[in-house]
Amino acid sequence: MGRQVAIVSAGFSEHSSKRSDVNMPELVNEAIINCLKKVPSLGLKDIDAFVTGNMPAFEGANMPELWSTDWMGARNKPLMRVTTGGTTGGSVAIAGYYHVTAGLPGIDTVLAIAYEQQSQGDTSVGLASTAYGEISILNTLGIDYDSLSRILSAGAAIGVAAYQATNYMSKARITEEDLARVVVHNRRNAAKNWWAHLKMPDLTIEEVLDTPYVQYPLRYGMLCPASDGACAMLFTTEEKAKDMCDIPVYVNGVASVANESAVLGYDGSGSAQTDPSAQIGAMRSSELAYSQAGISFPRKEIDYAEVYAPFPNQELMWLEKLGLFEETTAPEMYKNGTTALDGDLPVNCSGGVNSTNAIGASAMERPAVAALQIMGKADNQVPKTVHTSIGHGWGGSLNLCTLMVMSDEQKRKWR
Amino acid sequence: MTEKVIVSNKGLVRADFNFWVGKYMDKFYDGLEQKKIVGNKCSKCGDVFCPPRSVCGKCNENLPLDQNWVDLPESGTLQNYTITPYKVTDRRTRKVKDPQLIAMVQIDGSNTAIVNRLLNITPDEIKIGMKVKVDWSEKTTGAPSDINGFVKV
Ligand SMILES: [Zn+2]
Repeated sequence: MGRQVAIVSAGFSEHSSKRSDVNMPELVNEAIINCLKKVPSLGLKDIDAFVTGNMPAFEGANMPELWSTDWMGARNKPLMRVTTGGTTGGSVAIAGYYHVTAGLPGIDTVLAIAYEQQSQGDTSVGLASTAYGEISILNTLGIDYDSLSRILSAGAAIGVAAYQATNYMSKARITEEDLARVVVHNRRNAAKNWWAHLKMPDLTIEEVLDTPYVQYPLRYGMLCPASDGACAMLFTTEEKAKDMCDIPVYVNGVASVANESAVLGYDGSGSAQTDPSAQIGAMRSSELAYSQAGISFPRKEIDYAEVYAPFPNQELMWLEKLGLFEETTAPEMYKNGTTALDGDLPVNCSGGVNSTNAIGASAMERPAVAALQIMGKADNQVPKTVHTSIGHGWGGSLNLCTLMVMSDEQKRKWR
Repeated sequence: MTEKVIVSNKGLVRADFNFWVGKYMDKFYDGLEQKKIVGNKCSKCGDVFCPPRSVCGKCNENLPLDQNWVDLPESGTLQNYTITPYKVTDRRTRKVKDPQLIAMVQIDGSNTAIVNRLLNITPDEIKIGMKVKVDWSEKTTGAPSDINGFVKV
């Protein structure tokens, strides 16, 4: 058994489409300062090890963790980079947890940092570097370039999400209006979160539906922005956490699960599957993380959820696949207020990835916000007391899901 | 089993990247435009950084943007160098007539070294520790190219 781990703080940089006022290390530094500010008893000298990650191809800066070392306070200390596509931030957070739970001598307090400065690069070029890896897989299957152009999914991430959306919509029998409702939920929440990117306090369903299609059924107004931003989380031992903050948030379960292979354009929904919205990886990651955390009834025991949804259909899908709502019932929960700030299960009160997407940071911002909701320190804080929350990440090409289950009490060993 | 070449990839990929230098390097380049070298100083350990930066990694100290700027001279000390028969800035022409000399120069009054070319010096003239100074380009624009390289004092 590993050591019990606690989160004592989380911080953010300001996010926007172009943070041209800072270079990459300076952007990273902002989130770290914001994170440490909340723990006055702690300084950078007290951090024992660092984990960091982004998607270097997006900015075109190779090994940015070396450039950023001084700006992270990591000089002459253990430093590890983790890069896993869309789930990068989730993987960095999980790696931060692993560092502490492992119980290595001298490593108690770990700073996890995830970021992206997308305005520096061309995200399509960045994604292309990922796609080239997939193209070479297709080549090894004997598919040449000429044939490839006929089968590749269009438009990178949206090309994947569109298939998920249409499958989900036909299963749940919903319309684009239901998707637009999720967008309105997110962007209005973002308006109350200082570091969010797309803040739209008065957005309406009609306005979302009035934007052109990018790829059916997803319209321009439904898509996440490309953001510059950084996030930092502080992990430490149960004992040290008590001296650092009033309400330590215990990490009781983590999982990172890929559901079979998924090659863009070839077996787009995972091998041997026909439904891109099946998302068995998400189901499996939640089973694992919940069982570690001693959670048997996620619907009853989880009070708050941050799920990784650049596209609104994904938010509906994840909430069901992570066991928070019955299959096909999530759209109704957005109609009846269950997922609202003051609802029974508030979701993405930060505005979510749909409102702010600095890719490398996004999957960390989910557990970061979910932890702050338990501490009562979130920026769009829910009125009810949050005891248990989850932070989810999605990426790879399709089927990699990260999950972190957090609570204000330690693991329930009695279950 | 037969072997055949499925793919031979030829073509151009256009990758446009922007690099935001940030406010500290902005000041540095503004200085170059006026043929001036500026650095900034850590208030804790006193190290002077050239080029300037927002953090001293040794002290974990943030250096405020509006404080501790230091005007530095255009002279410095050669700390290290290397010689190459290839042209570093142009891959097409490759070999050059005279060897290229590239140096690490510590600007006087700073604690860091910057890398640039050594000009009008033959390899047998070079000595670690020798004094050099900036050779400015005729028309400065606030860019790295404002410095042609370093020459003997
Ligand atoms: Zn210093």
